Amino acid sequence: MAVVVIKRCGVGLCHRLCGITGRHWFPRLQHTDRQYIETQFGFERVSESEKREKVQQVFDNVAQKYDIMNDLMTLGIHRLWKERLLRLMKPYPGTQLLDVAGGTGDIAFLFLDYIHSQREAQMHRDLKSWQNLSWLEISKSYQETGQDLLGGSHAVICDINPKMMTFGKKKAQQLGYTEGLSWVVGNAEELPFVDEKFDIYTVGFGIRNMAHIKQALQEAYRVLKPGGRFLCLEFSQVNNPLISRIYDLYSFQVIPVLGEVIAGDWKSYQYLVESIRLFPAQEEFKAMIEDAGFMKVNYHNLTSGIAAIHSGFKL
Amino acid sequence: MLGLAACRIGAAATRGLLHTAPRRAAADPPDPANSKKRFNPELLQFLVCPLSHKPLRYEESTNELINEELGIAYPIIDGMPNMIPQDARMIQKEKKQEESEENQH
Repeated sequence: MAVVVIKRCGVGLCHRLCGITGRHWFPRLQHTDRQYIETQFGFERVSESEKREKVQQVFDNVAQKYDIMNDLMTLGIHRLWKERLLRLMKPYPGTQLLDVAGGTGDIAFLFLDYIHSQREAQMHRDLKSWQNLSWLEISKSYQETGQDLLGGSHAVICDINPKMMTFGKKKAQQLGYTEGLSWVVGNAEELPFVDEKFDIYTVGFGIRNMAHIKQALQEAYRVLKPGGRFLCLEFSQVNNPLISRIYDLYSFQVIPVLGEVIAGDWKSYQYLVESIRLFPAQEEFKAMIEDAGFMKVNYHNLTSGIAAIHSGFKL
Repeated sequence: MLGLAACRIGAAATRGLLHTAPRRAAADPPDPANSKKRFNPELLQFLVCPLSHKPLRYEESTNELINEELGIAYPIIDGMPNMIPQDARMIQKEKKQEESEENQH
């Protein structure tokens, strides 16, 4: 069976399958490039498997207080950034969204709100244009609108951390988002989705936690339809020296303290701050997106570059 | 510049507060027993095995998603499929039987 597996899916698969059984059928791949095995966890250098575990631990720890901490740390600005992302995305009824690392559902909820408002506007326009309707037509129009308020739109949320998703799901229930939403536990570096299935791929404050950003970008490219759009909201490099000084002070002196006081967890927030500093700056990340095959790649700085939205198309 | 930033922060804080209220009244009351716990088979149109990129079969009795070809079963917990290969289960019934038979001989 092992030989068959090699033939079908290549060595990478065997390597990963070994993880399932806990047995190593084949010698582990020796990458000549040591960078591949070692990676960065904040300012610490760790092995890749360790990074996965450690990141998981961070998000297990912060899951419960994630939303309140986001509001406190960014003074609510993260909500404006996410709204900006939606204004750039401009989804229409029927758009299929994949939100990666979207555990607590923020982007997907905004997406559904946006689709709703688009759909309502559409219905309003239709209503205006229909001046003389028969009863039959009226009843038919009611049936149609009742059936599908989202116009076939669907948001799939994929996150590697089940705990974050459990909180997201609870939130969805509380806020009344029941239709057009699915939750899948999955790894952004090997997405469990069909090729060319989604119109939009979003990842909000998630990509810097991934061990192989390049692989995640390639997977994004794979699951997008031709014409589909990649959108990434992530912390970036501040371009104003004065703000940069204040931001550094705030990041390293205030955020871990907030983490300790609110969530009782200094280390996790220390990691979050460090990981932000290590993430590639705007131009470098743009080049990485282009390397994955995306076209018309550009970015928008938010709040002097504290965060940035990168966008690219699969053409 | 700083003044501007302060303004933005202030505006953001008030907007943030506004948003803590539920955005939208629930159109249909959610049914936790049904819609939340159970797996929605419609999701199968999106899903494939992350290793082989082949379609999966939903096995209701064990509540798993099965990749027959590679013999991998992905669990569904709280209606959420867990598609991480490291968390999946290998189905090796036939192989194990063969092995035990060989050991007996």
